[in-house]
Formats: sequence, C-alpha cells, structure tokens
Amino acid sequence: MVEVTETGRSGVVPVHPDVFAGELEGEPQLVGSRCRQCGARFFPRRGVCARCLSAEVEVVPLGRVGTLHTYTVVYQSTPEFPTPYILAYVDLPEGVRLLAPLAGVPVDQVRIGMPLRLQVEPLRTDAAGRTVLGYRLYAHGGGA
Amino acid sequence: MSDVYVVGIGMTKFGKHPDRTVVDLGSEAVREAIRDAEVDPRRIEAAYCGHVFQGMVAGQRVLAQTGLAGIPLTNVEDACSSGAVAIREAALAIRAGEHDVVLAFGMEHLTGRFRGALTPAEDDLEAAVGLTMPAIYAMRARRHMEEFGTTRRQLALVSVKNKRNALDHPAAQVAAAVTVEEVLASEVVAWPVHRLMVSPVSDGAAAIVLAAEEVAKRLTDRPVWVEGIGWALDTSYWGNRDLAYPRYVEDAARMAYRMAGISEPRRQIHVVEPYDPFAYKELHHLEGLLLAERGKAPEDLARGRFDRDGELPSCPSGGLLGVGNPIAAAGLMKICELYWQLRGEAGKRQVANSPRRGLAQAWGDLMQIGTVVVLGV
Repeated sequence: MVEVTETGRSGVVPVHPDVFAGELEGEPQLVGSRCRQCGARFFPRRGVCARCLSAEVEVVPLGRVGTLHTYTVVYQSTPEFPTPYILAYVDLPEGVRLLAPLAGVPVDQVRIGMPLRLQVEPLRTDAAGRTVLGYRLYAHGGGA
Repeated sequence: MSDVYVVGIGMTKFGKHPDRTVVDLGSEAVREAIRDAEVDPRRIEAAYCGHVFQGMVAGQRVLAQTGLAGIPLTNVEDACSSGAVAIREAALAIRAGEHDVVLAFGMEHLTGRFRGALTPAEDDLEAAVGLTMPAIYAMRARRHMEEFGTTRRQLALVSVKNKRNALDHPAAQVAAAVTVEEVLASEVVAWPVHRLMVSPVSDGAAAIVLAAEEVAKRLTDRPVWVEGIGWALDTSYWGNRDLAYPRYVEDAARMAYRMAGISEPRRQIHVVEPYDPFAYKELHHLEGLLLAERGKAPEDLARGRFDRDGELPSCPSGGLLGVGNPIAAAGLMKICELYWQLRGEAGKRQVANSPRRGLAQAWGDLMQIGTVVVLGV
C-alpha cells in the first residue's frame, strides 16, 4: 500500500500524516497497524507493536462500521473548530478505538452503543487554503 | 537503606501573579520549606525541581536565587505528576544512602502563557480532529455515567465540596461557597463538564524538605514518614484501555501500598488528597486508589463519606478545584496538606478523624502517569 503524507499539487492535506493510505485525490483508505507476531491492532499506525514489541508490523485498512463507546459535546474549543460539535470514540470490530467528530445526529439522539459509520471527507480548510482531509462518524443503519 | 521523612514544607499563594516570575515563586516556597524545617541550608545535599512549562534550567535558577548553588539539581518533567515525581526521586536518593537531606519543589507560572484551557500537543492526532483537554474528561465521565449511573449532580458535588474546603485555605485561588445548582448553571465546557468543574490556570510553587531518619529525628520530634511511593504509566492507546477506570492509578497505588505494608487501604488510609483537576477525576481516582468500590465513589460522596468530618476526608485542602492548579506545584500542595493534617496543624481545615496515615496522588497527561505517595506519623 502506498503511504501518503502530503500532496502539494491538489492542495489537499491529511488531518494527520499517519492515518491514510492511497491517493488523497482518489479515495484514500483509513489505515491502522496489525502486528504480524501477535495480531494486535492499533490506530493510528505504529512501527513497533505496543503489546509484544515486535517490529513486524503491517499497515492494514480499518473497517468502516463500529459502535459508539463514549462521547461529549464540545462547547469551547480553538478557533478552527466551530462549536458546538460532538466528539465520539468508536469501537471498530478489529479492536481499535478512534476519535472522530460525529455528524448528522441530534445530540438528544446520541446513544452509547449505537452503530456508527466512518466516512473519509474534508474537515476544513487550513490557513494556507488547503483542504484538510479527515473523517467523520455518522449514524449507521437504523441507529439514530 | 534509610527511611525517608518530610521535615519541612512551604508554598506560595496559588493564583494570578502577573508581577512575579516563576523563579521568584519557586524561591519563596523553597525558603519557606527550609525555614519550616529549621535546617541549616548548607545541610541540603541535592534538589529536584518539577515543572512543565518553565524552560531550560528553571530549577537551577531558583537555587541560584536562594543561595543554594553548588549542589546537584535535577529538573523533572512528567506533566501534572512532575512535582510528585520530584519527591519520588528525592526519596530514592535518600533511600539509596546517597544523601541525607534533599529538597523537592515544584513551580509553574502559567497565567502569562495560557488564557484558556491548556490544549494537547499540536502534532497530536486527536487534537487535529477537535479534542480539547476538558473533552477527554468529559468522555471518561460520560462512560462512568453509562456504566454506573453516575449523575451530573454527583460530579457537581465534588466542586461544591472542594471549593468549600478551600475557603479555609490561605493560599486558595478559587475558594467559594457554591451550590450544585450553581455549578450546573455555569457554562458547559464539554458536556457533562461545566466551567465550575474545571480547575483554574494558576501560578504558584510548593517545596518540601526530605531527610533520612537519623537527621529527621534530630530536626523535629514530629517528622512525617514517607511510607510508600508508587509510580506507573499506562498506554496512550485507547483501544485497550478502560475509560471508566484508571488502571494506572491502581498500579501506582498497589506499589505504594506494598511498600507501606498496607493490605486494607480503606481502613488504613485516614485522609486522602486525590488529584482533582476536573471534578470527575477525584471520583475516578478514589476508585483507582481502591478507596471506594468501583462505581460507588459518587454515592459515597453524596452521603458525606469524603467530607472533612466524614469517614475518609478527601481533598480537605480544597484540591485543585479550590486551591488552584499550578501544574507541578499542585501535587506538592497535596503533600503539604497531608503534612499539616497528620501533624494536627491544619487549623480550620483539620479533619475530624485524627488521621495517622494519608495518601496524596498526582496524575499526568494523556499517557496516564499515576503517582501515589503515602505519608504517616
């Protein structure tokens, strides 16, 4: 898998250098790590297994559907994040937990345990006018 | 191997000190601790300084200012645990037989640097998707609410208790008589965390003098024994971590209890100063310290168990929520409080149960640093 950290031409930058593989202009894949020795999985990806310390770690795609572990509604933040917004931890079936904004669900309908879907999409425009590509969570199926 | 004793303490007022430097604050706390210990400054053989944001050789500048130059000084940085880790290093130096009298201090001047809440490091992935410090505790608290039925009123009660306790602390920054309703009427920072559930940005310093047994018993007839110290680090990988329980605190506590010979902490610890930068964290930490049953700390709080006249007074000082949060000095403030409580010198803050043994805990950062110190008389 090609690892992408930046792309100057299109003016698209990843929200963090470690989260995508593939072409940012196309449909980049959200990735984590899997230890070839012990099978542990991690997000974001890393070079050494945090469980068995093996360096035999491969980049693997992450699933797109998981369940809401916990959340908050942020009312005070830094200027690039207009408030209020919902942040949630989602548990993916691979055993990794990741943090992302939750969109499209009214606050009073957010429930721990509800199914959520991860979608790769632009989050904002940075100070240099580039599109910051990240991911958001949405309700999945009849979850909300 | 010598046992280690606290023989003197000092602290500045916590608050906004726009006209003072961190060296000024650190020097005041150090001078006060030396005066309190009634020790000849030339007897101090080494020093450890905890600070997070004070730049290069900050501790050395304090020693130069106080006339203590000429001894080894080590700066210690472990986020909010920095002050408590400085104590651990100082105590290890004495236990190892290397030194007899060692100074540990912590200091921070933050109000000149931060206007609002502290933010995570800029290259942090979670910060890049919108994480703020209060949001971390908000999500942990929300998980505790889900698993144990904890309510926002119970979280608010921590602020009510600590801000009230701080009314009797001369160094307190944000002491107040507030009600649960007032806490819940303050603006929401990150639901369910309200502004009055968050400790303030503070400037301040605190210092302690530690001594080996032989020296301690010559200096004072009421030394306070450092019975146990524990220090543990959890992973920063959320996927394998229980967000409703601080494993790193339990690990650090068990280490300290083992060293102190404590088998039943709920009976053997009489006063506790858990780390409370956010209201929820005090409850979270009381459970991790094994001083409350898992999921039961909120109920214990509501029935008064943690009040000053309760069965296990918690944060009688007023804690970070009441006294303030100059990061590295905050953990040392808790040690100062135990020193006063165990010697019966806490004045209006004195707890009712004549404590013989107390525990202070500090905690730091997203990596989850847990530091526990058990003191006894």
